[in-house]
Amino acid sequence: MIKVSINGEIKELEENLNVKQLIEALNYKTKGFAIAINTTFVPIAKYENTIINDGDTIDILAPVQGG
Amino acid sequence: MNNETWEIGGKKLKSRMLIGSALYPNPANMEEAIKESEAQIVTVALRRQSAGEGGGNNFWDIIKELNINVLPNTAGCHSAKEAITTAQMAREVFGTNWIKLEVIGDQYNLQPDPFETLKASEILIKEGFEVFPYTTDDLVVAKRLANVGCKILMPWGSPIGSGQGLMNPSNLKAIRKQFPELKLIVDAGIGKPSDAVEAMQLGYDGILLNSAIALAQDPVKMAKAFKYATIAGRLGYEAGTMQKREFASPSTPTVGTPFWHQFS
Repeated sequence: MIKVSINGEIKELEENLNVKQLIEALNYKTKGFAIAINTTFVPIAKYENTIINDGDTIDILAPVQGG
Repeated sequence: MNNETWEIGGKKLKSRMLIGSALYPNPANMEEAIKESEAQIVTVALRRQSAGEGGGNNFWDIIKELNINVLPNTAGCHSAKEAITTAQMAREVFGTNWIKLEVIGDQYNLQPDPFETLKASEILIKEGFEVFPYTTDDLVVAKRLANVGCKILMPWGSPIGSGQGLMNPSNLKAIRKQFPELKLIVDAGIGKPSDAVEAMQLGYDGILLNSAIALAQDPVKMAKAFKYATIAGRLGYEAGTMQKREFASPSTPTVGTPFWHQFS
């Protein structure tokens, strides 16, 4: 198991998950969000080739009101 | 309604008002206010969302239904790196290369950081973004932003959410004079419709506002007021205002004045 921060919360995950598997594991069903790992954007096209590592900081952002 | 169109970021629009989507009493009120404003650009943002919220939301559904242009912002960013990452994420989520670039340099007055804004602008333009940089009314900063390829500049009227109106109209005027080819939007600080008129009379291409509408007693009515204020200010600018005079000058003809006026 590895420990990562997801939207500020520490979570334990299986080792060697890629981003696509992470999203499935977290139960994100619909589209309309974007992901950054360690403050670097991960585009959809790179989800399957990007492996989550121990200590990663993952941000999952979605639309909100803004000025 | 004014039927003339103008162009910004490759889009032809009728409305010269950019409206924010935050701080309304409720989503229905936001929707109604945006509709009433007839704005064709609405600003939005990105924030953390948990899986429990479904990775989508009511807010975004409402905005999509409005079928107008979205301008995502980088609000809350304090460095070029943060702003660039946010912009890249926004491009994927919102499907637009437009980005309202906000890199804050001071937490007290939310003043933009000119150095980080410039750095981020240069990189984002190279990555194909249409950058709408939120900046101060500093002419040299404006010049630097134009030099790195910004076609749009959004100097502040006064600090975000302050409602203080235009603190430095002469600085805003100088930017307008120096950059006739750029699209200029007064962003932030507009508090009342007369501020919008003033900004538009300076020859600015548009205004961007949020708090002044959302925090009004009646946001929907205020949206309407700003719609007309923006049009009035623009028409006033295009029509050309008269020169101020030191002394009074009668508007009624003096020729043919009746005799009793001649002795008064």
